[in-house]
Amino acid sequence: MLKYNFKYELKFLLRSRWIQLLYIILLIVFGFSVFNGKQKVDKIKNTIVAAEKQVKENDIMMLKLIDSIEQGYKVSVPRWTVPTNPMAIGNYHPRVAAMKPLQLSFISTGQADLYTSYIKPTVSADDYALNFTEMTSPIQLLFGSFDLAFVIVYLIPLLIIAFSFNVFSSEKERGSLRLIASQPIQINIWLLQKLGLRFFWLSIIFISTITIILLIVSSEIFLQPRIYITLLALTLAYMFFWFVLAFIINIWVGSSANNAVALIGLWIIFVLLVPSVLNQLGNTIYPMPSRTLMINEMRAKKLEVTEKQDEILDNFLRDHPEYATNDPSQTTGFYHRYIASQKLIKEEMKPLVNTFENQLKNQQNLTRSLKWISPALIMQESLNKLAGNSTEDYENYRIQVINFAETWREYLNTFLFNNLDFSTNDYINLPKFEMIRDKFSVTSAILTLLLISISLLLPGLVFLNKDFYFDE
Amino acid sequence: MITKTFIKEIKEMVRDGRVKLSFLIVIILLGVTLWIRIGHYQNINEQYKNATITEREVWNGQGEKNPHSAAHFGTYAFKPKYPLSLIDQGVDKYVGISIFLEAHKRNESQFSAAADQTGLGRFGDLSPDFILLFIIPLLIILLGFNSFTKEREMGTLKLLKSLGINNWKWMIGKWISLFFPIFIISSVLFLTSGILLFNLNDFGIFNWSSLLWLFLIYICYYIVFINIVLFVSIKAKKSGISLVILLSIWIISCLAAPKAASNIAESKYHYPTKQEFNTMIMKDKRNGLDGHNPWSKQAILLEKKVLKEYGVDSLNQLPFNFTAYRTQIGEEHEAEVYFKHYKYLREQYNQQTNIYKSLAIISPYLPTRFLSMAISNTDYATHWDFSDSAENYRIKTQKFLNDNTAQNTKFGERGYKAKADFWKKLPAFNYNPPKLNNILIQNKSNLIILGAWIIFSFGLFLFNSKKI
Repeated sequence: MLKYNFKYELKFLLRSRWIQLLYIILLIVFGFSVFNGKQKVDKIKNTIVAAEKQVKENDIMMLKLIDSIEQGYKVSVPRWTVPTNPMAIGNYHPRVAAMKPLQLSFISTGQADLYTSYIKPTVSADDYALNFTEMTSPIQLLFGSFDLAFVIVYLIPLLIIAFSFNVFSSEKERGSLRLIASQPIQINIWLLQKLGLRFFWLSIIFISTITIILLIVSSEIFLQPRIYITLLALTLAYMFFWFVLAFIINIWVGSSANNAVALIGLWIIFVLLVPSVLNQLGNTIYPMPSRTLMINEMRAKKLEVTEKQDEILDNFLRDHPEYATNDPSQTTGFYHRYIASQKLIKEEMKPLVNTFENQLKNQQNLTRSLKWISPALIMQESLNKLAGNSTEDYENYRIQVINFAETWREYLNTFLFNNLDFSTNDYINLPKFEMIRDKFSVTSAILTLLLISISLLLPGLVFLNKDFYFDE
Repeated sequence: MITKTFIKEIKEMVRDGRVKLSFLIVIILLGVTLWIRIGHYQNINEQYKNATITEREVWNGQGEKNPHSAAHFGTYAFKPKYPLSLIDQGVDKYVGISIFLEAHKRNESQFSAAADQTGLGRFGDLSPDFILLFIIPLLIILLGFNSFTKEREMGTLKLLKSLGINNWKWMIGKWISLFFPIFIISSVLFLTSGILLFNLNDFGIFNWSSLLWLFLIYICYYIVFINIVLFVSIKAKKSGISLVILLSIWIISCLAAPKAASNIAESKYHYPTKQEFNTMIMKDKRNGLDGHNPWSKQAILLEKKVLKEYGVDSLNQLPFNFTAYRTQIGEEHEAEVYFKHYKYLREQYNQQTNIYKSLAIISPYLPTRFLSMAISNTDYATHWDFSDSAENYRIKTQKFLNDNTAQNTKFGERGYKAKADFWKKLPAFNYNPPKLNNILIQNKSNLIILGAWIIFSFGLFLFNSKKI
């Protein structure tokens, strides 16, 4: 029977032009989305390369200047930018702290349009005011991006719904169901075979189209087949879930129209409602403190410290004897007071700044523990992770940059507080930033999707009595 | 015929459990979102008020200080929230809430709400605009997809035809019966929000005519959907097919087209990255006058020019402090540089806007979204307006401070401090959003596009009367 079913389905799908149509649709949407993603990633890569190049060029100039000064020549640059001054290095020659795109970054924009891909932290900047947002038109942020993740998470389920909502009901409506019922096969097995074959064909179409598109747009991905296979497995698991859903609805509900309404209702729930309800829930349970009030507090502190700068510096040097110079002839200047005050503000602001981070973490944990409610959510998260553009990735990057900013400041402060000049020999010791990515795996996401699907499929197979279908 | 069809259709809807359920869901969603938004709105407004007052206190309480130090200490401009953001929060979440105004630099607005959210925030928020723009069109589809197909499927079409009915009247009856529930649900929502806003203690610049316009825009949007739904229902052979086609139209118009438009706009007229933008500005700044650097070429030229103008031969003889004057001229040059680059950014955005408008041909969602945000004062143009007026205020503040130094000190004098009560004399920053009339004029093309959609969709629907 499977053989007949297979033959019949293939003929039907070819004659009704379903296969051809799906090929065309998928080629267009995959092509467009992968091309878009690739373009974005290339733009990010290019800006990082340009920034690094610029730093290198500036470094050459800087080293020349230091060399001239060391040789006793006079240089014609403003006093405060003379690079033997450690604060000039810290402010005018910052390093690039970049978050480089991954191999699969083009599959999902994630948060990449919202956050910047590199930052150059300086010694005088405030960590809590470091602006990590990118300059993107907010309209674009609002509408989002037509990326591969959008196609997979939003569009593919709809294709599956259109492809399978009336598999059972149309036979019933045409009257051919009675003929099939006279065959020696259980109806639910027959339906399962039918939907299984459709899943099979859609998988073939999906795998072949995505492979063609990837070969054209981003062939280097095949050098790492593991990534490619993960992407396929993840998407197939997600597709499997929607087919299972279609199976359940097909046997459970009645007419074609009602099936379609039920499936679309589920689509809205999983793709649109659950994510926004969970988001709202997170915001309500773990509300973010107010940024405006944070600014107020920071400003009040700044005003306070500018009035007492000398006192603060004294206290600072007492707390940090390593910075206090033993040479009484050396003086302290603007930057000594400034750095000491900044440190004080930073320490005092820390509890408040931490609440933002903690609340965000709490919200993330809440999402993580509840995301199984919606397979669309699992899918989007996993694709963001594969792309390296998830909120966690940027959070991770942010923390690393702030740590790097601290290292950068500490390194140059040692010069400042010991009244040492920055020399050509010190150049190689300048701290450098290299982002360390968290290890991740989407295996658990794939397993969760399969588990959800199977736990839906089994009762559908076992508990539904075949007589159930004929009470017309 | 029209009334009879109307009564029959409404009766059917009332009896249908599916319709009742979906109506209930939409009403609950609208209620919940409105309730959430009101709390949010009040909260933000309170914060805004406190922040503005506290920031001003900080500014006034600077004590004796050099005006240029005060300029570097700077001040903050906070962005207020407007009443209709209750209905459509537009891009508010994606733009910062405050701008730091300091010497020599135009800063971008900081701290957008989206940056403080998890990735879930990108799926969309539970707010009335989400329901109005996405869910109600779906409700229309759900109510109307089988409006004509069911007559065919149940065989009533033949009976009706044998009665010799007037197709036009029959169709109008169907149209009204679909329009009526949608009209009621939207009226209730808008009226409730109007009353709620009117009764909030500080409803700011809320006016009923803005709300009425917003209501009309949404009604137009729904009319377009109703026409399309009925058109497809006439054309399709089966209810299921009709539903799937309508759903595809919905997803293309509400989800795919906006996303595709944003991608096309970005790739054709892209914004520079923040770092690129800063580098370009730095370059231009360096080529001009640096108010802090007396040895630069431009500074020496300025010195010569001023000396000649006043007919004196040394800077000491000038009636004002040349250093402060130079700082001010440098400031003006920097302001010009920023003006130039922000103008470029704006041009890019205008080009992007044209792309959104041209894609509105396949999506009635786009003009509706833009109009709704604009009337609610939550669109990008309002943000631009706010940011520009904050910049103007910044430039004025710098002049106010530099003039004080120039008038009260002599050339070469160091360590001048303005009196503690001087800071109060700086006028407070005050921002008024664009007026409704201006908004409508600015969005003329969106209004025209939406109007064209109505005419086109009515045409589609009504000129098919003979084909039933």
